[in-house]
Amino acid sequence: MIKTKIKIWQVFFILLILLMVVRANLILNTCLLFLKWIKILFVDFNFGSAQLNLSFIDSIIAPVLLSVCLITVIIYRNRINPLSKKIDFTSATVIILLIFFLFAPLVSNSNPDFQKNLIVTKLLPPLSRVKVLHLKPVENNNTVKHSDYLRLKKEVIKASFDDEIIFVDSISVKDEIEYYQSGLKKKINKNILLYKDGAPYITSKMFLLGTDELGRDIFTRLVYGTRISLFVGLGSVVVALILGLLTGFLSGYFGKTIDLILSRVTDMFLAFPVIFFIILILALFGNTLFTVIFVLGFSGWMSLFKIVRTEVISIKQKDFFITSKQLGIPLKNLLLKEVFPLIIAPVVVNIVFLYGNVILAEAALSFLGLGTGNNYPSWGTMIEQGQNYLTSAWWMIFSPALFLFATVFSANNLGKKINILFNN
Amino acid sequence: MNKEIIIALIKRFFSSIIILISVISFLFVLLRIAPGDPSQKFISPELSPQLVEKVKESFNLNSSIWSQYKEFVINSLRGDFGISYKYRQPVFSVIKEPLLFTALFSFISFTIQVIAAFYLALFSVRKINGFIDKTISNLSIIIFAIPSFVIGVFLLFFFSALLKIFPSSGLTSLDFDSLNIFEQILDYTKHLFLPIITLSLGGIAVFYKYLRDNLEETLNKPFVLFLKANGVEEKQIIKKHVIPNAIGPFISVAGVELGLLFSGALITEVIFSLPGMGRLTINAILSRDYPLVLGCTFVSGFMVVLSNLAADLIKSFIDKRLLKGLLN
Repeated sequence: MIKTKIKIWQVFFILLILLMVVRANLILNTCLLFLKWIKILFVDFNFGSAQLNLSFIDSIIAPVLLSVCLITVIIYRNRINPLSKKIDFTSATVIILLIFFLFAPLVSNSNPDFQKNLIVTKLLPPLSRVKVLHLKPVENNNTVKHSDYLRLKKEVIKASFDDEIIFVDSISVKDEIEYYQSGLKKKINKNILLYKDGAPYITSKMFLLGTDELGRDIFTRLVYGTRISLFVGLGSVVVALILGLLTGFLSGYFGKTIDLILSRVTDMFLAFPVIFFIILILALFGNTLFTVIFVLGFSGWMSLFKIVRTEVISIKQKDFFITSKQLGIPLKNLLLKEVFPLIIAPVVVNIVFLYGNVILAEAALSFLGLGTGNNYPSWGTMIEQGQNYLTSAWWMIFSPALFLFATVFSANNLGKKINILFNN
Repeated sequence: MNKEIIIALIKRFFSSIIILISVISFLFVLLRIAPGDPSQKFISPELSPQLVEKVKESFNLNSSIWSQYKEFVINSLRGDFGISYKYRQPVFSVIKEPLLFTALFSFISFTIQVIAAFYLALFSVRKINGFIDKTISNLSIIIFAIPSFVIGVFLLFFFSALLKIFPSSGLTSLDFDSLNIFEQILDYTKHLFLPIITLSLGGIAVFYKYLRDNLEETLNKPFVLFLKANGVEEKQIIKKHVIPNAIGPFISVAGVELGLLFSGALITEVIFSLPGMGRLTINAILSRDYPLVLGCTFVSGFMVVLSNLAADLIKSFIDKRLLKGLLN
């Protein structure tokens, strides 16, 4: 791998500062929104509490997390060991994934499902620009309560639709304003346009990684897809960890019948190709985000079970374990305080490898159309959609595939590194 | 082969069979308790109530799970897994053709995987940490991290869409019947070339890694140094002493892999729309064709058991010491 002299914390710090500078406006608006929301909460509690949903919390938390991360990095840069290491491909991938995962609303300030003027935005290649015509906002200051709050909210939390803009290919401003949408000429009433300094307010929007067949920004979908993919991985690993630890401990500690049954069940799982089992469960019980997480976790606990079981069997005969058992320490504490610290090394290595595998499995499931559902963009879904437009729009499949590869590759590398670290 | 070994192998085989039976039973119960009624698909509103009853009865889903299970066990002991809901044929006659295809397809791919990984590992072990070794090792790690569907889709993109060398899907061309035998073989080869590469690349990477690491470990052992000191030729050492010692884990991984291959290369089959076991199983699951699901599971589970057994046999032929591990 490429070796540089730049340290991990420096890269992380620079990226965070960059994010902060680029989105300074948005962060400021978010703070304002939060203050206004607090104010509304005192005046009109019902309205305020109705505003509290996942995307609202997400938008509010992102700037807070950003500042917390910045401060942590500055203070603890030399004390946290991994931060002072030199950067390489694996750590760079981890940093980028982490930033995407934590600060998704800041990294991309638009909705992953945002669609407008399909005729213009459909299947645009990366780095292409379109012009944006802004319309006058509909005046309803007096009719709707808390209108300034709602206006600010629209700036911060982007919806999947926006009536106040029109995407156009080109535009000519003469006596009349005409615009072109893929060859079609259309006229527009001057009165409904938004004006700035006497001229119609026209901006341009760049699609960094292009758009898909429904005119959605691939970069935004990638950022939010990172979230889904990493979340699914995290959730399934936790499920697998709990299952593997519990069954392994029970089987190793009690032995005899429980051991026999659990070992046979593990063999059963290993004898049957797991992907069919996963698909069976998903097909029979529906594929929502949580069934996918649960099923993926449920299909990954076997290796953890084997590790924990063999370790517990050897620990069981050690003096310290027998002593603490005879002291009357409850079973839960035996597992968490006596066994767990000893098996943490192989378990962590296994978990990191499992993480890569689970993300791959989730992508494969999404590719087969059985993933986390179409409500959420995930890497696998994006690849599956891109497959149909392979000859005309390679960019649809390129970036999710690259991210998937980088993630799995880094997970494998990380596992190897941790393994070396623990064994020395 | 002495008596002990045979008994141990038979024991192992039967315990695997018991596991297989419990898998099938588990699946059977799971399918019955799952929500949804597979017979609903075949009932239209125009049918008379008596006919509806008859259709439902033909699916045999009205009685209790236990009596259904008893009937299923008795029938399957006679080799009858029931009649597929979707194809209206006995399960095994539905499975026959995909199984034949999958057996051929996965066997070719498996052979390629094993041979390629074997020679690549030998090649890179010649000079450990040399240029060739590092290149192949890094390549194998990279290939291992690329999901097979991405490999498949990119191969399709380059060779089918851009260069138009290979066909993009299916097993035969439209004018297949009018071709003579050599052209037919050529046609098959053309259609199977990309799928086999897609399926094999990941396997080559895994096998290579296993074999290379084991070979390196064995090469560092004292007995190799001893042989070298005695003036035995390098080639002879590797051929007669290092490979037999290092190949054990490789064979067991290969056995597991072969079993999984026989149950169908699902992703590859989906990308290239090939008529294999993987797609058959998935279609059976998605259309709630319960007998077919159980049949497919049985066949692929049986293949896994068989290939693990084969791996054990081969391993014990090469390294007699492993027999002791087998006996336990």
